[in-house]
Amino acid sequence: MSIARCLSSLLLAGLLMAGSGVAQAHPHVWITAVSELLYAPDGSISGVRHAWTFDDMFSTYALQGIETKQKGVYSREELGSLAQTNVESLHEFAFFTFAKADGKKQKFNEPVDYYLEYKDTALTLHFTLPLKTPVKPKELVLEVFDPAFFIDFKLAEKDPVKLVGAPEGCQMKLQRPSDGTASAQKLNEQTFMGDGANANYGAMFANKITVDCP
Amino acid sequence: MRFKSGFARTLALGVAAVAVALAFDGAVHLLMAQNPFGGPRPPGAAEPQIGGIVGWILARQSEFYREISATIRAAKSDGSAVWTLLAISFAYGIFHAAGPGHGKAVISSYLVASQETARRGIVLSFASALMQSLVAVVIVAICAWLLNATASTMCNAEKTIEIASYALIAAFGARLVWTKGGGFIRALQVQRPVPAMAAAQQHHRDHSHDHDHDDDHDHVHDAHDGHSHGPVPSELEGPGGWRRGLAAILTVGVRPCSGAILVLVFALAQGLFWAGIAATFVMGLGTAITVATIAVIAVSAKDVARWLSGAGEGGGTLVMRGIEFGAAGLVLLLGAGLLFGYIAAERVTCL
Repeated sequence: MSIARCLSSLLLAGLLMAGSGVAQAHPHVWITAVSELLYAPDGSISGVRHAWTFDDMFSTYALQGIETKQKGVYSREELGSLAQTNVESLHEFAFFTFAKADGKKQKFNEPVDYYLEYKDTALTLHFTLPLKTPVKPKELVLEVFDPAFFIDFKLAEKDPVKLVGAPEGCQMKLQRPSDGTASAQKLNEQTFMGDGANANYGAMFANKITVDCP
Repeated sequence: MRFKSGFARTLALGVAAVAVALAFDGAVHLLMAQNPFGGPRPPGAAEPQIGGIVGWILARQSEFYREISATIRAAKSDGSAVWTLLAISFAYGIFHAAGPGHGKAVISSYLVASQETARRGIVLSFASALMQSLVAVVIVAICAWLLNATASTMCNAEKTIEIASYALIAAFGARLVWTKGGGFIRALQVQRPVPAMAAAQQHHRDHSHDHDHDDDHDHVHDAHDGHSHGPVPSELEGPGGWRRGLAAILTVGVRPCSGAILVLVFALAQGLFWAGIAATFVMGLGTAITVATIAVIAVSAKDVARWLSGAGEGGGTLVMRGIEFGAAGLVLLLGAGLLFGYIAAERVTCL
């Protein structure tokens, strides 16, 4: 009987896990990201500039309780305190931005030049993350994602990443998260141009930007 | 002889379970291949990385969620869009609850730990989902509609409630561990059951039923036969039993769904708060269906385990008490893990 008991317990455990195995995190906020890598005149990377556009629902939610002179119109000043709350909150989540220079993790200072913009019922948060120490690596890997997947980051379809002031000969590669939607698949193929990028995806939902400089 | 039949039965059941699981997964994959997400799969496209059931659920959920905001906007000019909104909300609720944060794990573990029936599992699932909807509506009605508080104030309120709910889960789990630990230890101490009892159980074992008769004589036999674990059925159905169930409902239901709050605030901003409230409750209904389904699976799995282990025998009782104790421990671990941030996947993110 003991084998049977053991097996039955395992079976139960399996069934229970099958039930809870579906327990994957699910996003509540969608962000379309446009990022710029900022280079200093000497060719080192000094920071990252993000422009994150929130989905319709979250934008409206974020604007709840914000007083404006004109209904439905939000000036940069009126959104100032909200922008500050945003960047302060982002600190807790390491700004959802993870940089590695030649395999070494990089740290960011607090965001500067931040503001919110409201256009076409969507809020866009602009902010610059200066690197604690500028780096000049052969390879820089920048990932934008929420490890808890409360927020679903997507790089914009058009020109999602710009290298600002990069030395000549720097090459950029993009890896988008494959979330199983047909459009993301198509984008993968367009963006990667067969650069062997289909080989290994990084973190499941990470947007991975790789810059190789000579 | 008994060893053989028990073993064969276990094997047969195990094989059947695996076969069903494979068939289901295969069917889902086939479905996806034919109609991945509303269109034929583009030729040569890579296999989605997060494939299978989970990927499908996530993609569906995003789709429904995006449609909710669009439909609320549409409802401003076209009243009939509200019906579409309700339909989408219902579907969203069903898929959304497959993710964490809707008490599936807590309710299922609680049901396994206590000797609860599938029917009570369904009632608990619906009651806690209803409460979750109600809490979301109350938060938005008070904070946003009455006080015109900002999103960050509201989100912080949500976060506070969330932490409280994790503490509640841990406390609830601790209480379950305390009570179930006693039953488990008593079962450990019992070497062999009273022969007459065993015969009676042998008889029951061959029928399918969803409450165990070995629990019937709790207090009477407590001292000598070790079959003392859990309340009698009449107690379960009585007011006292429901009061215990209420603890489970409160524990799970106090934490509102962030998705519902977003929808409510959005609807409020569009001047259609009532439509948001309706959508929230319909969403809760969908959520309840998913949670109830998983709860029933958990209870059935326990019934299968009971049947397989021959609950009538001393060892079988030990297995059942062990499972109950384990499930109680799981609730405690879940609560503690959530509270201390080891399980952070479902944490509310205030921006």
